[in-house]
Amino acid sequence: MTVEELKQYDGRNNAKAYVAYKNVVYDVTQSPLWQQGEHQGAHNAGIDLTSELLGAPHGEEVFKKFPVVGTLEEASQKKEEHSSSELLKTHLRLLYKKYHPHPMTVHFPIALHLFAAGFDILFLAEKKDAYAIGVFYSFLVATVMGFVAMVPGMLSWWINYNLSTHYAFVVKLIVAAITLVLGVIGIGIYLENPNIVYDYSFLGVTYHAIVLLTGLNVIILGYYGGKISWGNLGEEKMQTVSFDTNETDVMMAEGKFHDVDYEAPIGFSTPTSSVKAELSAKHGVEETHHVSISILIGGAAGLGIDTLEKILSDAFKESGYYVFSTKEFMSRVRGGSNTTLLRVADFPLQAPCWEVDVAIALDALALEHMKHRYKKDTVIFGDESFNEKGSDMIAVEMKESAKKFGDARYANTYMAGLLFGVLKMDKTALMQSIEHHFKGEGANKDVAESGYETGTDIAIPSLPQLPRLDNDAIKKLHLMDGTTACGFGFLAGGCNMITAYPMSPSTGVLNFMASMSKEFDIALEQSEDEIASLMMTLGGWYGGARAMTSTSGGGFALMGEALSLSGMTETPAVIYLAQRPGPATGLPTRSEQGDLNLALYSGHGPFPRVVLAPGSLEECIDCGYLAFELADRYQIPVIVLSDQYLADSIFMIADVDFSAYEEHRYIAKSTKEYERYADAHSGISPRAVPGLGEGLICAVGDEHDERGQITEDYEMREQMVSKRARKAALLTQEALAPTCKGKGEIAVIGWGSSKGAIAEALERLDDKRLSHVHFAWVHPLSPEQLSVLDGYKYKIVVENNADAAFADQLKLHDIHVDDKILQSNGFSFFADQLTNMIEKSLKELS
Amino acid sequence: MSHLFDRENVDVAWCPGCGNFGILKLIKEVLEELQVEKNNTVIVSGIGQAAKTPYYVDTNMFGVLHGRALPAATGIKMANPQLNVVAEGGDGDMYGEGGNHFIHTVRRNVNIVHVVHNNMVYGLTKGQASPTSQKGFETKVQVNGVTNEPFNPLAVALSLRAGFVSRVSIANAEHAKEVLKAAFLHHGYALVDIFQPCVTFNKTNTYHWFRDNTYALEDSYDSSDFNAALGKAFEMMPMPLGVIYQNKNSGATLEENIRKSGEPLYRTSHDLGKIQELFESY
Repeated sequence: MTVEELKQYDGRNNAKAYVAYKNVVYDVTQSPLWQQGEHQGAHNAGIDLTSELLGAPHGEEVFKKFPVVGTLEEASQKKEEHSSSELLKTHLRLLYKKYHPHPMTVHFPIALHLFAAGFDILFLAEKKDAYAIGVFYSFLVATVMGFVAMVPGMLSWWINYNLSTHYAFVVKLIVAAITLVLGVIGIGIYLENPNIVYDYSFLGVTYHAIVLLTGLNVIILGYYGGKISWGNLGEEKMQTVSFDTNETDVMMAEGKFHDVDYEAPIGFSTPTSSVKAELSAKHGVEETHHVSISILIGGAAGLGIDTLEKILSDAFKESGYYVFSTKEFMSRVRGGSNTTLLRVADFPLQAPCWEVDVAIALDALALEHMKHRYKKDTVIFGDESFNEKGSDMIAVEMKESAKKFGDARYANTYMAGLLFGVLKMDKTALMQSIEHHFKGEGANKDVAESGYETGTDIAIPSLPQLPRLDNDAIKKLHLMDGTTACGFGFLAGGCNMITAYPMSPSTGVLNFMASMSKEFDIALEQSEDEIASLMMTLGGWYGGARAMTSTSGGGFALMGEALSLSGMTETPAVIYLAQRPGPATGLPTRSEQGDLNLALYSGHGPFPRVVLAPGSLEECIDCGYLAFELADRYQIPVIVLSDQYLADSIFMIADVDFSAYEEHRYIAKSTKEYERYADAHSGISPRAVPGLGEGLICAVGDEHDERGQITEDYEMREQMVSKRARKAALLTQEALAPTCKGKGEIAVIGWGSSKGAIAEALERLDDKRLSHVHFAWVHPLSPEQLSVLDGYKYKIVVENNADAAFADQLKLHDIHVDDKILQSNGFSFFADQLTNMIEKSLKELS
Repeated sequence: MSHLFDRENVDVAWCPGCGNFGILKLIKEVLEELQVEKNNTVIVSGIGQAAKTPYYVDTNMFGVLHGRALPAATGIKMANPQLNVVAEGGDGDMYGEGGNHFIHTVRRNVNIVHVVHNNMVYGLTKGQASPTSQKGFETKVQVNGVTNEPFNPLAVALSLRAGFVSRVSIANAEHAKEVLKAAFLHHGYALVDIFQPCVTFNKTNTYHWFRDNTYALEDSYDSSDFNAALGKAFEMMPMPLGVIYQNKNSGATLEENIRKSGEPLYRTSHDLGKIQELFESY
């Protein structure tokens, strides 16, 4: 068979669909993946695919299942040409991606033509020679540069857009050609007689008209150029699979939510910037001193540690310092021994440290609990009654003073005052904070005052001296925990329904949404179990809500079957999964990144899903928002992975502009002919909801046909499997790229909540060889984005778990991991300890 | 009768003579006679032979997992209180696998009609005991006969103060239709437990058995009397059929309690300005 003959078998109009690979011709007519001779919207039948296979996600094994119908004639000149031109195109495309010659050159003619037109208007108003000369020379250069820009432009049209005849390209071509022709004519007129510009003869008027008209032309060219680069039509051509909703007659309903088509970009282009970037950009805050002080407060549950944490973090923030706090606590309501770590600094903090400068014991047991975190010069405060023989504790009259003011519970405010006194801080902010928290109740301020007096008399030269900062920009930051930030992200994503069963450490999100249900129309129900949680959430989405559930590992395990139902029925779902160490009940109040594999693999049968793992407050908001957009758009479950550490730790965040989070609802208004699982190129069938439109929505967990009736037809099964798989293929294109910081050749790779600890550890190491690569988008990983890792000589993966689940994911993508730093003792990473671990790993590598 | 609610081109998977055919007909007739709008009605079902019913009724349908129809139905009602929602399935589906959801859906008083096909046997898995199988019923698994106490859905629903509790038998279709209609018209959660023979796997509880061991409640029976209802729920051999209990003022439904409005949630959105304001209060 010759290449020309092969072309006849393009699968269109009931023709057979043949493709050639390495000179063998296969018949793919029967394959559901080659309907109408088209494969994934990117490849056509009737041609030799040998070169195209290089870019395919599968290898040549796929051809084995198709019948062989002949061989392609070897010596065909045309074939050579075809494949070599395809290869050339691929090479050019890569070069083009790297150097962008058209955007680079096209600025010149645009700017100069506009410049010429502008100056010509000036000349027409005031006839100065200089203007006329300026007009001509800029016009001349503009025209020359126009030719220069047109070459890469045409090239791009060929390699990137396959000579598309979309109107944007046609308009550009015509206008560009006119501009160039006019340019040549204009130059000709002027060179013939430069004085022509002064008279209103035919040629003179023509000259001016040309100059002005070309100015207008370049505006049109720029407009359509922008449309091609940034609008959807460019992407549509470039995507290997394009979104396609035209196949059914679904009308988008009136109202703001229903006019969104599946091609619209998710309205979220720039992730919110970090506090650090925000501050340095906006306020020019300089970090000259780099001093931090860490304070550990210990005591039994019920002694008011949380209150102390809030009072102090607010007070330090209002004094103009950066603060960070985190807590570790036992799984009990009263008693035990818990601690809160508070860090105060003149630079942004985003992680805990193990060793502390100050320890405050609210009971005797705390001394025992905290002692592992002392360094040589840690200052320890406790009540005189603790009677620690031989310890370095500084005994203060905590209990006595509290009692003096009438209540033993004042002990915590006494210690707050004492700390401010010892640190020689201005007490105004502390008093304001106490006023704010207790609303003036009781003698709290007096107790704090008394503690402050005692504190000012205690001099400890070894304590780090915080510079007087009083930075107003810091005072404007917001203090919140990861739970709250996720909550705001979900709200921004349009969450209007939550059904959940309480489980530490996820309950905070349920609480947050409950408080928000007083402000917004949010349907909330506490479910009888986690199975019901996710089933109600799915019911909610089916009924038109943007629903979510929150849980931890144990509860999520129960949701496995319902997760699978989400996959099969293509009903969206958002699941907030706050991890804690397992297996089973494990350590209910402690932290671990141990459920990645659970999130990736739970649910029987393959179906597409997304797993996001924020590592900062900013990412919490972004991921919360993105979870709803992705779930709705792709009709899949999206899992947001947090953990106890991220959920309960308090960080700082700059202002966030919520108007940037544009909410889309991918809901179609149904017609009588509506079919829930109508086959679409993209795999995404328009999703309608009952009651909106005349159609009936049949969503089912059995394998189904396009209208949603049970089927066991093997061809239909293959079609549906393929439809769901196509969504998975598309999803990788949405992936958020990992953030890479630093220029070193050794990558320290983390995901989710370890972001802050790794960042601080690398700052502490100050080693030029090191770079930080952070993943907030954990699954599905985009091979294209992962290629950034090829640039590093060594790769160290840091994970807060024992099974190195993320490193395994990287390995699945053929990424070599040189070392793994793992921790699964119930704590998240401490920046100081992690610094040592990375240092040790570096020694082993070198 | 017209065929308004017939779904076209379907391959019905039931055995000839199955009681499900009668229930299917009943459902379609009731929907039609009450002039229910197709596109505003959803039937949610789990897994089992009974749970296949919505595949043959021309309305919206959400076919979910075994035992999980009730929470899905609850979610739909939360999202759009304006829809008519029916949860339908068999005794194993609703009282066995989904037993916990049964309890809590009653407590929530979700405004749905809960239709349970009760044939006292597992059909789709080919003949094991169900939660409602009578003691002594022998199967391939319960080789010495069932020894567990049969589940009493009426008594359970009553103990949770369900507003509408009923039992009918497909052997008495006209009577069943009237009760089913009343269930649709009830405001709040309504249970309709339907006795139905399984002609293939239950040779004990046949059409005849149901006819011989049930009776329709007399017209004089006061269905608003809670204590009388409790008595009726425990009455055996013969078992009473009809509306055992109805409280016409059974209080606010879940969706009325938890939603600010009855608006479908696909129509509402949050005020971003308000989110901004709340965020800045931190």
